[in-house]
Amino acid sequence: MGASVAVELVICAWILLMLAADLLMPAAGKSSLWMVALAGVAIAATLLVLQPQPATPQVLFGTWLVDPFARLFKLLFLITAGVVIIMTRSLDTFRHLGAFYLLLLTALLGMLTLSSMNDLLLLFLGLELLTFSLYIMASYVKTDARSVEAGMKYLILGSVSSGFLVYGIALLYGFAGGTSFPAVHAALQRGEVPLTAQAGLLLILAGLGFKVAAVPFHLWVPDVYEGAPTPVVALLSVGSKMAGMVALLRVLYGVGLPLQALWGTVVALLSAATMLYGNLAAIPQTNIKRLLGYSSIGHAGYLLMGLSPASALGAVSVGYYLVAYLFSNLSVFLVIVIASHRLGGDTLAHYHGLSRRSPLLAAALFIGLLSLAGVPPLAGFAGKLFVLLATVESRRLWLVGIGAVNVAISLYYYLMVVKRMYLDPPLSPSPISVDGFTTVVLAVLLLGIFAIGIVQQPFLRAITSAMRW
Amino acid sequence: MITSMPVPVTLVMLLAPLLGALILCALPQHRTRLLRGIAVGSVSLSLAAALYAIFTYRTAAGGYQHEILLPWLNAPRITFHLGVDGISVVLALLHAFCAFTGVLISFAIKDRVKEYFIFYLLLITGVFGVFLSLDLFFFYFFYEMAVIPMYPLIGIWGSDVKEHGVVRFSKEYAAMKLTIYLTLGAVIALTGLLWLYASAGARTFDLIEVQRHLAASPLPLAAQRGIALLLIIGFGVIAPMWPLHSWSPIGHAAAPSAVSMLHAGVLMKLGSYAIIRLAVGLLPQGAQAWLPWLAGLCVMNITYGAFVAMAQNDLKLIIGYSSSSHMGYVLLGIACLTPVALSGSVLLMFAHGIMTALAFALVGHVYDQTHTRYLPDLGGLARQLPFIATCGVIAAMASSGLPGLANFVAELLIFVGGWTVWRFAVICGVLGVLLTSIYMLRFVRGTFFGEPQAAWAHVRDAATAFDRLPYAILIAVLLVVGCWPQPLLNTIDAGTRTLLERLGPPSPSTQFADTSMKP
Repeated sequence: MGASVAVELVICAWILLMLAADLLMPAAGKSSLWMVALAGVAIAATLLVLQPQPATPQVLFGTWLVDPFARLFKLLFLITAGVVIIMTRSLDTFRHLGAFYLLLLTALLGMLTLSSMNDLLLLFLGLELLTFSLYIMASYVKTDARSVEAGMKYLILGSVSSGFLVYGIALLYGFAGGTSFPAVHAALQRGEVPLTAQAGLLLILAGLGFKVAAVPFHLWVPDVYEGAPTPVVALLSVGSKMAGMVALLRVLYGVGLPLQALWGTVVALLSAATMLYGNLAAIPQTNIKRLLGYSSIGHAGYLLMGLSPASALGAVSVGYYLVAYLFSNLSVFLVIVIASHRLGGDTLAHYHGLSRRSPLLAAALFIGLLSLAGVPPLAGFAGKLFVLLATVESRRLWLVGIGAVNVAISLYYYLMVVKRMYLDPPLSPSPISVDGFTTVVLAVLLLGIFAIGIVQQPFLRAITSAMRW
Repeated sequence: MITSMPVPVTLVMLLAPLLGALILCALPQHRTRLLRGIAVGSVSLSLAAALYAIFTYRTAAGGYQHEILLPWLNAPRITFHLGVDGISVVLALLHAFCAFTGVLISFAIKDRVKEYFIFYLLLITGVFGVFLSLDLFFFYFFYEMAVIPMYPLIGIWGSDVKEHGVVRFSKEYAAMKLTIYLTLGAVIALTGLLWLYASAGARTFDLIEVQRHLAASPLPLAAQRGIALLLIIGFGVIAPMWPLHSWSPIGHAAAPSAVSMLHAGVLMKLGSYAIIRLAVGLLPQGAQAWLPWLAGLCVMNITYGAFVAMAQNDLKLIIGYSSSSHMGYVLLGIACLTPVALSGSVLLMFAHGIMTALAFALVGHVYDQTHTRYLPDLGGLARQLPFIATCGVIAAMASSGLPGLANFVAELLIFVGGWTVWRFAVICGVLGVLLTSIYMLRFVRGTFFGEPQAAWAHVRDAATAFDRLPYAILIAVLLVVGCWPQPLLNTIDAGTRTLLERLGPPSPSTQFADTSMKP
């Protein structure tokens, strides 16, 4: 029993540890707190890998699932949190570092909950745990007006979406007479589904659409991405989006499969709008974080596209895309955290001639962005290919066409960043050095990008075995 | 069908430049000689493998040879499958020649040498991959891999195109336009390939297996037509088919010489090759529905390209528009789809590739020496550049289809083979040859002949044997193939024969074309 929630217990313990450290430690000692937080994440990851697969996946009165799906995504969430912690290392501006890592760990706890949930109430709990932590983290740099504005916008729009979610949960509860996933699934399967229950599912979809930044629930994205501290943006863009997709997979595939004709079409339409809007609106951006905000909307579109076929291959393709996206986006953000710190700003003009000042950072950003665009032999290409493949098998050719054209659109604005780094003369000739530890982390992420893009077989096998429930 | 060849030539051809690029990544920036040496070494290996492949290709047996098959992914089934048939073995050789001479010409690059050769070798790898892949996944994989390095290559080492000293368009603009056009074409084709994958129902990307599956159970005609249209448009962008050609001349003009050589010499052939291999090869009935349209468009290619080339003042733009005009002949050969015309089409891909590589190399030399490509500023250079001027005259003669050079044979085959099918298009094509000689003579006269100008007294010819080597190789190939085309044609025929057998019995209009018409 304890083994099935060991990972979460470790994170809970570390949350308390961080709280104590924040209160008791002298300010000077806090600069090494990132190591403590990283150690907690590492211990949790070790426990997760060693965790035995229980005979029945349902534990804790059927509300908690310990299946390969949960295990895969928990591992991905822990990796994300680890890299985000490493990102904060170089930022001295965070004054209450203890509290910051505390929030990071509560957000992580929320994401872990979402991977294992088997009940609508846990869906709400996990999502709120994650979002509340992010509200605070987004406005963490209190001296920066943009950061405060970012947190405020995120809070207001997020609350509205929570309202959608709760209303949807209530409607499904009213229909099924229970909140556990199997109960709702059984009720949906029994035949005629009333309009209220259909509306309930769609409202949950809307609430989660906010999390993954799907059009038309994307309005918070550009401002929050621009204003929030960069490590938080990385967490938002990778962790929070992945959490939303995990919840969507659990809800739509685990519960809503009987209604697939309904949500399949809705998701396909949302996907087309999201891809087109995100990628077209990214073109005129002049701030790299804003640009990545719009680009992340575009990626949400591809992820939804993978969901729309409601097939096994669709789920696998979403999983593959998420893994590819995680590696590509984390390496991009790792570069941006270092570069914006040294270059003194986030506008694209700051990146002029980066390749001459730091060939490593420029090459890493080049590879990361091309992977996001979906250029072979990089990870993003394989992800996009599987998503398109799943969609073409569901006979939505129009969606495949839109998805394919979006590759070319996104390539344009990614290459505009490359142009600034490689073609334009640098603002100042002084070289930018990168410390050894960051270089190693960056190299591992880049190797991952190549591996996922070239040798698909082992990754595909692992993801396929995780996508059965 | 894995033949037990002693040397995995296809693998060597593909991996040698890739390995070269990886080694370059690890070397220090300032060791210029070493960097160049590695680049030359890796492409020499590819060239040797390509020569070996074509000399050991058994034309009597035909089909795919030198195959290498490696399972890559189980479901969906993707195989790392390399191999060559009579068509691709010739095009791989063309690419090997262009790549080898291109690397030699690249010695003129002085700035950021390491990065340049890394991107250049990646480009070479990608193009080899397309010609050698027998798997739809890897076909697209290498195709897109060949497109992306063009962006930094043009953007960093290219040059703006100027008129009267005023920038007409910048290299950044040309690079971006090229990349986006080609990627857009690629994804349109990708949509077609995925549609093909889904509707064939074989659940495999292996080209041979798909081919076998489609031959046994052909797709409904509507689906065939739809997929073939996507493939022809998608790959037509890079071919470059009028009116999707506008990326191409400015891309040529802005790129550094060695990149233009590969770009015009080989990259454009990827489009026509893909149309032959995938659209015609896999969906014969579907592709045939669009051939009348293709015939009409290639007339536009030929005449429009030629007229625009006449009006240009930038040397590279002249060659660039002439390339898109000459690719019209290649497309015409495909549109006719008779054995003779199709073989002529493949031979023209080869001949034009070599010819245009020669032309871009010598224009590059002129530009390096004079720092201008503006025709009114040039003139009388034959006095200072006797060797380059001779090369220029030969390139112009080849381009205008003079007998004795490879282009003549190829164009003749297309005209003879296509006469009964698209007579009007063939007449336009013959007129196009006339137009070609007009702009090529203007190019030669304006650059090399006329009054010698004092401003160019200092320019230097390609004097050393090493400098002359790339030109000599390319001219030798043009002459050998021009005077003695039969061996190469036999190899090409081995490829086109199997392709056309799949089309079924020839319709009455194509029966005229029989092999006795070959020179």
